[in-house]
Amino acid sequence: MIQFSDEAREHILRFLEEDSAADLSVRLRVANPSPVNPQYEMLLIEPHERESTDEVQDADGFEVVIDPESARILEGTRIDWVDSLQGGGFQFDNPNIKPLGSEPLTGPLADRVERVITERINPSVAMHGGAVSLVDIRDNVVYLRMSGGCQGCGMASVTLTQGIKQVLHDAVPEIVDVRDVTDHAAGEDPYYSAAK
Amino acid sequence: MSEPAARVLLLLASNSYKAEDFLGAVGDLALRVTVGSDHEAALASEAPGSTLALDFDDPEASLDRIVAYHETEPIDAIVAAEDEGALLAARAAAALALRHNPPAAVEAARYKDRARERLSAAGLLSPPFRSYPARADPERVAAAGPIPCVVKPVSLSASRGVIRADGEAELAAAFRRCREILAAAREEHPGLHPERILVEGFVPGAEVALEGLLSGGDLRPLAILDKPDPLEGPYFEETLFVTPSRLPAEDRAEVVRTTERAARALGLREGPVHAELRINERGVWPIELAPRSIGGLCSRLFRYRSGVALEELILRHALGRSLPDPDQELAAAVLMLPTPRAGTLREVANLEAAAAVPGIEDVVISVPKGSEVVPLPEGHRYLGFLFARGETPEEVEAALRRAHEALEIVIE
Repeated sequence: MIQFSDEAREHILRFLEEDSAADLSVRLRVANPSPVNPQYEMLLIEPHERESTDEVQDADGFEVVIDPESARILEGTRIDWVDSLQGGGFQFDNPNIKPLGSEPLTGPLADRVERVITERINPSVAMHGGAVSLVDIRDNVVYLRMSGGCQGCGMASVTLTQGIKQVLHDAVPEIVDVRDVTDHAAGEDPYYSAAK
Repeated sequence: MSEPAARVLLLLASNSYKAEDFLGAVGDLALRVTVGSDHEAALASEAPGSTLALDFDDPEASLDRIVAYHETEPIDAIVAAEDEGALLAARAAAALALRHNPPAAVEAARYKDRARERLSAAGLLSPPFRSYPARADPERVAAAGPIPCVVKPVSLSASRGVIRADGEAELAAAFRRCREILAAAREEHPGLHPERILVEGFVPGAEVALEGLLSGGDLRPLAILDKPDPLEGPYFEETLFVTPSRLPAEDRAEVVRTTERAARALGLREGPVHAELRINERGVWPIELAPRSIGGLCSRLFRYRSGVALEELILRHALGRSLPDPDQELAAAVLMLPTPRAGTLREVANLEAAAAVPGIEDVVISVPKGSEVVPLPEGHRYLGFLFARGETPEEVEAALRRAHEALEIVIE
């Protein structure tokens, strides 16, 4: 079941009123279920755009149409409306896609990864003014964030694939992958800047 | 027991834009990779053997290091992402009997004066040209002409130091300025940038680029890219690349033929080529041909129906593997965001508005806030890259122009 806040419902009803087409419903879709940057789509659709496999939910004033895979991922999601300087938008609070780093990291695997980062990786990248921090571990995939000289560095992907991954795989073999979730575009003091 | 994955030595300059894209392609192909670069990797001591510190200014010493490395970690292919590593890649691949371009051919392509000599000797359309030591007397250079002309340091890329002159006084001034730009580049890489300056006649006409792959000397064109912004000087800031080309079919065919002849004239036989050509009423003029892929992040505009990236094609070719059909999916274009003036970059604002323009696929700002930025001809980096994809070249070009207009570049 998907829940809508009163404000979200009001906005959807207003969009439906403003559209001249008849018998519109709201299609929800999970465009990208990544925990790094989950993406959802909300579209007004006409009856002929429904699929026979779609699940349909009554949302008190309008119908919500969802493909089966999205319905599975969206189960229990609450949709709210959030105002912002850009004009506001819908916000999905999905218990099935928890953003990375939203829960405290505990357990022996996280401890071992933290120790490798602290004792082997960070002393080395510090020589380039950088630092690496553990953001999350999901299904034995490690998510890292780079900062300082590593953030925005033209060689950050080399540091990741040719250094960090290898060190972590050697020390913690059950790790299946290491992913960088750094916002490199926001880096202000990269050790190497791309040019030419 | 399965054989270990092939190992590629990837030569990357420390100021490379291409690390992420090449390493992504390496991952897609499940290759083992060693990154050879002109810097000591941050984790070199913790992950020995995964990187190789090289000195692109000292090819002899770097060659010895690669050969020694190969004895313990056999290398199956060597790929240079940029100009800096191209000659070393050719020499090392020759030493290890791997697929390669003749080093003499790479050297000829690398230096604009040598390239011009070979292209001219092969009978390709060439403007009059003269090559000078950088210390030459600018007044004498100016007296010798030709006018109008373009002054170029022989080894710098991305239009750095390239200046048009329409009279003797302008030519003397351009030569002096070019010399200073070359001197600044030599402070970083004295071994890569010889103290030579080329003066060649200005070739009027529309400019296009060709991206291709050479195999045994045969050219496989991957794309012809229009450059719809006029490049008339005095500086030659490249902004837009749009594909597919809107040139008539016979002109496109001549662009391909000319590029292949130019590659043969230089002696290039294997790997990626990025050619710049001009077209006017006399025909197609090769301006430059580099044994590498397109610069910056521009390769991201290529998206083939097979799902592979340009970098994957290059790696596959280097390993002698079959190449999927490089059939471009849609019209695509990239705009390299020019630096409007010198100063401190405070912000590139309105990114969301630019990204929201229909057809815009990505907006990448590649210069950190707070950086000192310098326009051409002294500067050598773009503020960022805007990518568009759509049904037609007109559509993607218009999208990029709208997105560019939406951006606010704050330089103080």
